[in-house]
Amino acid sequence: MKTTDRFSRRGYALFVLALLAAMLLCICVGSVSIPLSNTLTALWNTLWRLPMPQGVSANIIVHVRLPRVLNVALVGASLSLCGAAMQGLLRNPLADGSTLGVSSGASLGAVIALVFGITIPGTDYGGVMLMAMAFAFGSLVLILTLAYALDRSLSTNSIILIGVIFSMFVSSAMSLLISMADEHVRSIAFWTMGSLSGTNFKQAALSAAALLICGSVLLRYARELNAFAIGEDNARHIGVNVRRVKLIILIVGSVMIGVCVSIGGTISFVGLVTPHMTRMIVGPNHRKLLPASLFSGAIFLLLADLVARTVLSPVELNIGVVTSLVGAVAFVAIFYRTRKAR
Amino acid sequence: MFRKLVSPLLVLLMACSMTTVMAEGTPITVTDMYEREITLEEPATRVVALSAADCEIICALGCEDALAGRGMYCDYPESIADVPAVQSGSETNIEEILALEPQIVIMSDMAQSEEQVKLLEDNGVKVVMTRNTDIEGAYDAIEMIGALLGRDAEAEAMVAGMRAAFEAIKANSEHAGKTVYFEVSPPEWGLYTAGTGTFMDEIAQMCGLTNAFADMEGWAFISEEQVLERNPDYIVSVSGMPDADMEIMEREGWGEVKAVVNGDVFNADADAFSRPGPRLKDAAESLYRFINDTDAQEEPAA
Repeated sequence: MKTTDRFSRRGYALFVLALLAAMLLCICVGSVSIPLSNTLTALWNTLWRLPMPQGVSANIIVHVRLPRVLNVALVGASLSLCGAAMQGLLRNPLADGSTLGVSSGASLGAVIALVFGITIPGTDYGGVMLMAMAFAFGSLVLILTLAYALDRSLSTNSIILIGVIFSMFVSSAMSLLISMADEHVRSIAFWTMGSLSGTNFKQAALSAAALLICGSVLLRYARELNAFAIGEDNARHIGVNVRRVKLIILIVGSVMIGVCVSIGGTISFVGLVTPHMTRMIVGPNHRKLLPASLFSGAIFLLLADLVARTVLSPVELNIGVVTSLVGAVAFVAIFYRTRKAR
Repeated sequence: MFRKLVSPLLVLLMACSMTTVMAEGTPITVTDMYEREITLEEPATRVVALSAADCEIICALGCEDALAGRGMYCDYPESIADVPAVQSGSETNIEEILALEPQIVIMSDMAQSEEQVKLLEDNGVKVVMTRNTDIEGAYDAIEMIGALLGRDAEAEAMVAGMRAAFEAIKANSEHAGKTVYFEVSPPEWGLYTAGTGTFMDEIAQMCGLTNAFADMEGWAFISEEQVLERNPDYIVSVSGMPDADMEIMEREGWGEVKAVVNGDVFNADADAFSRPGPRLKDAAESLYRFINDTDAQEEPAA
């Protein structure tokens, strides 16, 4: 029984290999073309802490591409895992940080922290990150309360409607902030469009820690999520503490979204698209789906970032442009399918 | 030196002829940068200017008293803070402008809509549009605003002074194949630079430098790797952040860029470099001094 229920070792190995291949590809390919041998030497020497070869290419690999690739992979993995967990929890294929408006809520928190200069002494990103998390959680609670109040079954339509309304509310709040604080306009644009350019190892370490802690919590609730998938009552009947599990998953999800937004701004649709693609490969069982979404989210965002970095080189696109393009199409396809299924 | 003396003299001569014309009360007619004709019976005494550059031009012409209102972001010279501020750009508020009862409104083509222009004109306010994309355009704006305010002579002098300063810089600069990278915003918010067709590019060329991103048209987001690869000899930060030069010098991975190795990173006055007004001269001179390591007092000899 266990072998079919769990994610097999071979399955893990395949996902890990695919992720490593994607990371390697993203380190080797970029706006500036660098000979493969130089890239690999630089990478090898970093891994084993050997002395660096001199020259521009080593700098580009080690200080520009490597931290960025790490950040992209971690943010992609986190967003995708969150999306998968939320879709399971709310039994809604369209639930995700960006469709619900949680990401925009988080970015509003980040912008407020910037405009009003809220910082935590001794940390670089503390204030922004904390505000992003708090606002992510606050918006999630607000959205769900509204949704429940309007429609207890939490149908797809009401979730989308409320997500749209909430995103509109956030964008007008942002405009208000922009007209109040002109000096921050440029940075505000960054939060709304999303970009992982200029990210560093410190940020990668932060999001790695967040993913490690929150990710392992979410993965531990895979069984409960499976129970939720059949129905909240069903979960209750088989002994799941529904309120507690819900609250924990929502808090953990908000923390992850908050961290991701404070590092890369609002990157839409990652948490929506990749769990769906993953579900097509590994099926709906959360014990497989959650870990698989983690990997596929990282791979998806890595490839999206690769496109953003190279397609118009030397000009760089915002990564949100790429993910939204893919995401919007997927969104329509999923919506269409769920409507038809009814 | 000779040139420096001659132009003010010429200007003085012209000034005399101008004032006589004015005295006769001939109406002033100017064509703005959108080919629209504006006629005034006499020099304007109540003006609202929405763009920072146009405000600077008005003040530099000695007409700060004629300013009935200024756009929100007009902050130079400091004394301008006493002039009532109005919303500008996409937030332009017509009522607010009308309440100041200006004779003319000078606006650049940032975000005002045609409807807004029409609304102002329907209320008897003359609208003058400026569109400055290069230094020649700045000259045109200065001359046009000078004419509207009855300060043709001062405007001529200002333009002549700018031309002379730029010529002097050009004459004293050699094209040694050095490159410069302008950083408009740091990597945190996405690297943003100025390509060809910007004031910064024009100023760089004047100083004998080649823009490292000359292949980009206008303003563009660029990838960090490209900056490292192009390895500029000079980096000029126009992000307007304090200590931007220090930040670049210590930036992770930039340690081998020529400009950083040689300490040739300049934290420039962002406003002077980006506003198409009289301070473009200061911008060019500051860059010239920076790359030639001359003291602040020394000017490029004509």
